[in-house]
Amino acid sequence: MTTTRRNLFKLAGGATVGVLFTPAPWRLLTDTALLSETWPGVPVPRHGEVTFQFGNCSLCPAGCAVRARSVANQPVSLAGVPAHPLSHGALCAFGIAGHHLPYHPDRLKSGPVAAADAAVRTALGQLRDTERCAVLDLRPGRTASWTYRRAMAAIHNGIYLAPLEPVPVNLAAAKTVLSLGAPLFDNWGTPGNVIAARDHFRLIQVEPVESRTAAMADLWLPIRPDSEEALVLGLANLLLADKKVAGLPAGFTDRVREFPPTVAASRSGIGEQQIAALAHELQNNGPALVLGANGSPYAAALNLILGAPGHTLVSRREAPVPDEWKKAAPVSDLASVRDGSIGVLLIDESVTGDAPPWSAIQPKLANKAVVVTFAWSKDGYGRQATYTLPTAVYPETVDDIPPAVDSPAAAFRLSAAWIAPPDGVANPADFVGALAGIAVKDALQERAAAIRKSGRGSLFVPSSATSTPARDVKPDDFWKMLQAGATWIDDVDANAAPPKLDLAFPAEAPNQVLPLVVAVTEPDAPALVSPLLSKLYQESNLHLPPQSVALHPSDARSCGLETGSHARLETGCGSIAVDVIVDPDVPPGVVEVSGGPGIRKICGASSRARVVRS
Amino acid sequence: MTNPNKPVKAARYGMAIDLDRCSGCGACMVACAVENNVPPAHQGANDRKGLTWVRVYKVDNGGEGDGRRSAFIPVMCQHCGNETPCVHVCPQQAVDVDPSTGVVGEMPERCLGCRYCMAACPYHARYFNWWDPAWPAGMEKALNPDVSPRMRGVVEKCNFCHGRWHAARRQAVADGKSDMEPVAYLPACAEACPAKAITFGDLNDAASPVAVAAKDCNSFRLLEKLDTDPKIHYISKRDWVRRIADAPRPGDGKESRRG
Amino acid sequence: MRISGYIPFAVGALTALAAGWAAFPHAIYQNRRQPVNFSHKVHTTTAGQKCDDCHSFRADGTFAGIPTLDKCAGCHAAPMGTTAAEKDFIDRYVTPNREPQWLAYARQPENVSFSHITHVKSGGMKCETCHGNEGETDSLRPFQQDRISGYSRDIWGRPIAHSAFRTEGGMKMDDCVNCHRSHGLTHSCLDCHK
Repeated sequence: MTTTRRNLFKLAGGATVGVLFTPAPWRLLTDTALLSETWPGVPVPRHGEVTFQFGNCSLCPAGCAVRARSVANQPVSLAGVPAHPLSHGALCAFGIAGHHLPYHPDRLKSGPVAAADAAVRTALGQLRDTERCAVLDLRPGRTASWTYRRAMAAIHNGIYLAPLEPVPVNLAAAKTVLSLGAPLFDNWGTPGNVIAARDHFRLIQVEPVESRTAAMADLWLPIRPDSEEALVLGLANLLLADKKVAGLPAGFTDRVREFPPTVAASRSGIGEQQIAALAHELQNNGPALVLGANGSPYAAALNLILGAPGHTLVSRREAPVPDEWKKAAPVSDLASVRDGSIGVLLIDESVTGDAPPWSAIQPKLANKAVVVTFAWSKDGYGRQATYTLPTAVYPETVDDIPPAVDSPAAAFRLSAAWIAPPDGVANPADFVGALAGIAVKDALQERAAAIRKSGRGSLFVPSSATSTPARDVKPDDFWKMLQAGATWIDDVDANAAPPKLDLAFPAEAPNQVLPLVVAVTEPDAPALVSPLLSKLYQESNLHLPPQSVALHPSDARSCGLETGSHARLETGCGSIAVDVIVDPDVPPGVVEVSGGPGIRKICGASSRARVVRS
Repeated sequence: MTNPNKPVKAARYGMAIDLDRCSGCGACMVACAVENNVPPAHQGANDRKGLTWVRVYKVDNGGEGDGRRSAFIPVMCQHCGNETPCVHVCPQQAVDVDPSTGVVGEMPERCLGCRYCMAACPYHARYFNWWDPAWPAGMEKALNPDVSPRMRGVVEKCNFCHGRWHAARRQAVADGKSDMEPVAYLPACAEACPAKAITFGDLNDAASPVAVAAKDCNSFRLLEKLDTDPKIHYISKRDWVRRIADAPRPGDGKESRRG
Repeated sequence: MRISGYIPFAVGALTALAAGWAAFPHAIYQNRRQPVNFSHKVHTTTAGQKCDDCHSFRADGTFAGIPTLDKCAGCHAAPMGTTAAEKDFIDRYVTPNREPQWLAYARQPENVSFSHITHVKSGGMKCETCHGNEGETDSLRPFQQDRISGYSRDIWGRPIAHSAFRTEGGMKMDDCVNCHRSHGLTHSCLDCHK
C-alpha cells in the first residue's frame, strides 16, 4: 500500500462515512445547542428551602407591612400583607423591589468611620462656647431620634434639628378633600390607606398639570401655575362672608377682603361659578379637609375655617418612651439656629425625609466645621460633607418607622434585617450615642418595653393576621412579635385637644424672579431604588425619568433646549444637573420634575425655578 | 392514579382589570420583573427594546387644557383563545396554548428569535431579549428559582406567572388534592396592585370574582373586532376609555421621547 | 477498483468507528469525584434509614433533593463509625460548617420544572424507577459530566448509543414524554418548563 494522495482521500472518506455511524457527530450537534442552556452569560438562581418572613418597609414613613419570600434565607420577592389595618396589603413600586438595595452598585460599603470619629471627638473638644454640636435628623420620631436627642442633651451645647412634622390627617373621617397639589396617589401618606379610604370621600385636585392624582380625582381644577393663594383667598372670602373664625391672623382676614370671587377667578384661572360651587361643597359636604404643601399657611387657614382640627386634622400622641429618656434635648428647627454657630454637624440621611437644601445649612456652619453624613450613597450631602459614612440599607437593619401623616394614631413597627450588612458600615445612632457616652444598644427593646408597659393600643400580628390588645400580650412575646414584623397601633386619644395649626404667613410675597413654576409629578424616591425601576421610565413612558425635567415646547425654545439636552435646574435653594424632555402636554410656564432626593431638596421650599443649558 | 386523556376540569385563567382604579403607579410592572427574573434595562434599552411583560400605558381623551382626562391601561399578554396569532406563526412551535389552563406559553428555550410572533401579536405584548441579562454584582442572588432566566436572542412574555402555578400545584398535591384540579393562585401583578385593580382567576368558574367581573356591563376587551378571544377583561365606566380599546396600540403617540 | 483499493477506505472507516464508539465516550465525558465517599448501603442497612429520611418532601410540596449539611450534622456531629471517609467528612465539612458541593446525577436543566411530589404521591412512582438502586450502593459512582454542556451522563442514559440514536433509560425530555404518553397523559409545554 503506497501513501498516495488518492489513498489519503480514501482514508478520509472512509473515516467520514464511518464517523457518521458513530454517536460522535450527532452528539456534538446537540451538545452545541445545549451549550445555550448553560451559557455563562445567564446567571442561575440559587435553589433552597422557601420560607416567608415578615417585616415593615422603612423606605418611607408609610412603613407598609411586608412579607418576604426567601429562598435559603435570601429574599427573592416582596409582597404586602393584605389584612394589615394600615397598609391593606399595598406596596409601592419602590418597596416591591426593596430587597435589591443591598446590591445596588451605588451603595457605599465602606468609609472612613474611625477617622470621622476621631475628627468629631477632636472638634467637640475644641468647640468654642458660642459653637454647638448639632444632629440633623431627616426622619424624627424614631427611637434613633430619641437617641440623638438624649445624646445632644448629654453633650455640652448639643442641639437636635429635625424638619417640621406635618399635622396628622384622618382621611377616613373626610367627606370632601380639597388637595392643593398634594400627591395623594403618588406615594402620599400610606398608599394602601389612601386607596382604602378613597371610596368614602370626594377628591378635588387643584393642580396646574394633570398628575396621576388629578387623573384619579373626582374633579381636577387646572389652576394657573402658582396661584393657589388666590384660590384659597377667594374661597375664604365666600366662607367667611357671614361668620367669624377665631385664630385667623389679622393679615389674613385683610387679604381675604381683597379677593372676592371675581378677583380670585381672574388670578387663578378657575371660573367664578366653580369657585362658588367649591365653597358650597366644602361648607355643606363636610367634614372637609384641605391638603397643601407641608407647612403651607394657606391650607392651614382654610382648614381652620372649615373646622378640620379635631375632625380631619387630629392630634396624635407619640408612642411611649422610657421615662429616663424624657430629659432629652427638644426638637429644634434649622432656621432658628444662629448663623455660623454649628461647629460639628452630624446628618442622618440614611432615612428618607424632608431634607433641607445645602444652601440653608451652610450659613449655620462655623468656620472649619466638621460635617459627617450617614448615607446609603455619596449623592446626598456627601457632596459637601467632610466625611461620608456608609450605613446599612433597608432590609439589612432593624429600625423603627414612625407613623405616616395619614395615621390618626401612633404606630410602632420595625423593619427586619433579612440580609447581613457589609462589615464596613456604621450605625448612626451607635456612633452618636458613643460620642455622648450613653448606652444605646438596646434602645429599641427599651422603647418596646415602655410601649407595652403603657397598656395602650393593639398589636397586629401578620403571620396570623389578627389584632390583640397590647395588654393581653406577654411582655417577652411583645418584643419577639415586633421583631417578627408585628405592628403596634395606639388607641385614638378621645380626649385630645384639636391640633394647633401653624398660621405663620410670610411677611411679603417672595420676589418672583424665576420664570417657571415647579410641579413635582413623580413620587419621592428613596436615596437608592432598584435598577428594575427602569421598567417605568426607560423601558416605557409611564414615569418621568429620575434627574429629568419636562418643559412645554415654547419654554424649551426660549431656554434654547431640546429633548436630550443637558441642563441645570436652578431654584432659590440650589441647582442640580438634569436631562430635558420637551412635552407639549406640560402647561406653559411649568417645569415638571421627577421626585428624587436631590431634586426634592432644592424644590421643597421653593416653588419656582429656571432651567439653563449646561 | 387517574389516566384521563384530558384533565378532570379545564380551567381558563383570565383577568379583570378595573381601569377606574388604576393610577399608573407601576407597582405591577416592577413586581412582574421581580417574580420573573426580568433583568433591569440595558444601557441601550428604550420603550421599543425593553422587557416589560406587563406595561402600563397612559391614554387620554384627546381633550385640551381642562377638557383633558387621562387613564392608565396595564397591557400584558392577552392569552388569546381563538386562532392565537403567535401560535400560528411560530416556525419552531415554541408557543402553545395549554388546554387545561388556557395559558399561552412561550418557550424561550425553543425560540430561535425570528420575532415573527412579535409582528403577529396585535397587542404588542411580546418582548425580545436584545441583550444577555445583566444584574448588578450580587443582585443575582435575589433571583427567583421558580423561573428560569433567558439568554439573549429569544422572545419572552407574560405567562400568568407560571412559576406560581407550579408552586400552587405542588402545594395542592402536598395537601392531598388531585394534581388534575385547577389550582387557585395569584400572579405577581395582581398581588402587587395597591389599588386592587387586577382580579385573577378561573373564567370557567362562574362563581369566581373574575368571571363575575368579566360579565359586568362595563367590561370590554381590547380589539374585540379581531376576534382573538382574549382572556383579559377591562372594566371602565368611562365611555372614552372603552373607545380607546379599538385603537391599534394604547398610547399617546409619543412612545419614545428619548428616541 | 481492486480489493486493495478499498483498504484505505476500510481502514479509515474502521478507525473512525472505533474512535467513535470506544474512545469518544472517554473524550466527551469528564469523570468527577463526589466531595465525600458516601455509602448509601451503610445508611440504609446499618442505620436503617429509608430514602425519604434524607430525601424528603417539605410541607409546601417542594423536594429537598440532596440533603444539606444540617441534616448530616444532626447525626454526624461526632464520628459514629470508624471509617476514614466519615472522619474526612467531619473534618472538612461538619467542623468548619461548609456545605459539600454534591454533584447531582439527575440534575435537570434550569428551564425544567420537575415536580417530585406529583410523580411520587399522585403517580405512585418509586425512587428506583428513575434513579436506579442507589440505596444499595456502597460508594457513590463517579459523576460523568459532559465537557461541553455540563450535564450528567445519566441524563442521556449510560450507553453511548443512547446519547445519539435512541432514547430510553435516560432522563431527557423524550424519556419523560414517552412515559407520559404510555400512561395516556397529554400535557402542554409549560407543565414541565419554567
